[in-house]
Amino acid sequence: MNMQTARQAGLIACHFCNTLNKVPTVSENDTQQEYFCSCCQSEIHSRIPNSLSTTWALLIAAIILYIPANTLPIMTVVMWGDGQPDTIMSGVFHLLDSGMWPLALLIFVASIFIPVLKLIILTGLVLSVHFKSHWKPRDRTLLYRITEFVGRWSMVDIFVIGILVSLVQFGNTASVSPGIGALSFSAVVILTMFAAHSFDPRLIWDVIDDYYKTTSLKEFVHERHEKARTL
Amino acid sequence: MSAIPNTIQIKKHDSQTSLTHIACPECDLLQSIPPLAVSESVLCLRCDKTLYTHHKNSIDRSLAFAITGLLLYIIANMFPLLSLKALGLTQDSTLFSTALALFQADRPFLSIIMLLTTIVFPATTLIGTIYILLQVKTNKINELTAPLFRFLRSTDAWGMLEIFMLAMLVAIVKLGDVAEVVFGISLYAFVLLILTLTLLSASLDPHDVWNKLREKNVNEGNNV
Repeated sequence: MNMQTARQAGLIACHFCNTLNKVPTVSENDTQQEYFCSCCQSEIHSRIPNSLSTTWALLIAAIILYIPANTLPIMTVVMWGDGQPDTIMSGVFHLLDSGMWPLALLIFVASIFIPVLKLIILTGLVLSVHFKSHWKPRDRTLLYRITEFVGRWSMVDIFVIGILVSLVQFGNTASVSPGIGALSFSAVVILTMFAAHSFDPRLIWDVIDDYYKTTSLKEFVHERHEKARTL
Repeated sequence: MSAIPNTIQIKKHDSQTSLTHIACPECDLLQSIPPLAVSESVLCLRCDKTLYTHHKNSIDRSLAFAITGLLLYIIANMFPLLSLKALGLTQDSTLFSTALALFQADRPFLSIIMLLTTIVFPATTLIGTIYILLQVKTNKINELTAPLFRFLRSTDAWGMLEIFMLAMLVAIVKLGDVAEVVFGISLYAFVLLILTLTLLSASLDPHDVWNKLREKNVNEGNNV
């Protein structure tokens, strides 16, 4: 069998159930026809419609909200009547000061490292598709997979605030209240999750497919395997 | 002039191709599914995405884990997860009281996120999975099975109980310095619940459930 993509074979794979639907025409932008999956009745598209512009919109919103998320306090701890608002970064430093460095590392990775990495990777992926890059499609797909997998773990800080707020309720003696920064931060996490979801990694490969239209895809795969063997 | 799209429902017996072939969801490469031994996986030829893993008794095992999970989930919500003792007072915390506390602290948005990710989505996932697996097992698939499973798959990433578990660990260490943290009865059920949910997602490949639905469609299509 000659290697081909579902689109080249005139098939649309359902986004939810991955059922292959035989359609009369698979167009670049599915505006002329609406198809519904034979298995789960959802609307099917060969590629996510308006994938790049949706991802851009969500990404830009997330990048803007990322600023208040880091500069405004995420929570205020009141002890014996006076309290100090904490931002994400000052919270990490407080943990470091009290010698809880594993905890500081965990919060740093989940609340600062992962969101920044996610914003950078997604922006890079969208740009690479926009400029029709041929650079390491397999590695870019892997980057996408990692982004999609680790993104939700950033919510850990929000959950910690929730638990602290519900547990530490001793009036003026000791209490914790959530700050406005927590709101922006959770919005950043949710927006980037949606952004990762709206990005279609098949767009990375469409560029490669167009390029290799002259040679067969089988040769391309073979070439990759040869390369992997020599490395 | 804007073109009004034609609406086309693909004929049901056309899903036959899906029983032998699979398109990679991340690079669209069409490939055939080779016969697999237990716990072997098919990887995409060009992007290495895991396309399908063959699990032993996938449906039966997943059903067992899902029922166990639901029971543990009920217990985990009945009693306090953590309690904080300070100044002779005790403050309890459950999944629901965490969402409620955020609401009372004037953060309704955070409260709703909490409610959805730790209570609503995990509960619908467990109940829905049990319902669908029972239908598949007893061969009583109806027209609502596919849309319901589709809904469950789309909310899968939003159930965040394992992240809540990690958050509890952080809170325990953080508060352990200044006050006495008491583990509630439900905490043990919660830890077991996380374990069960992990086993559930490791034993159920959605492809198996979809294949059952497609097989039914193909059979019906051939009879017409």
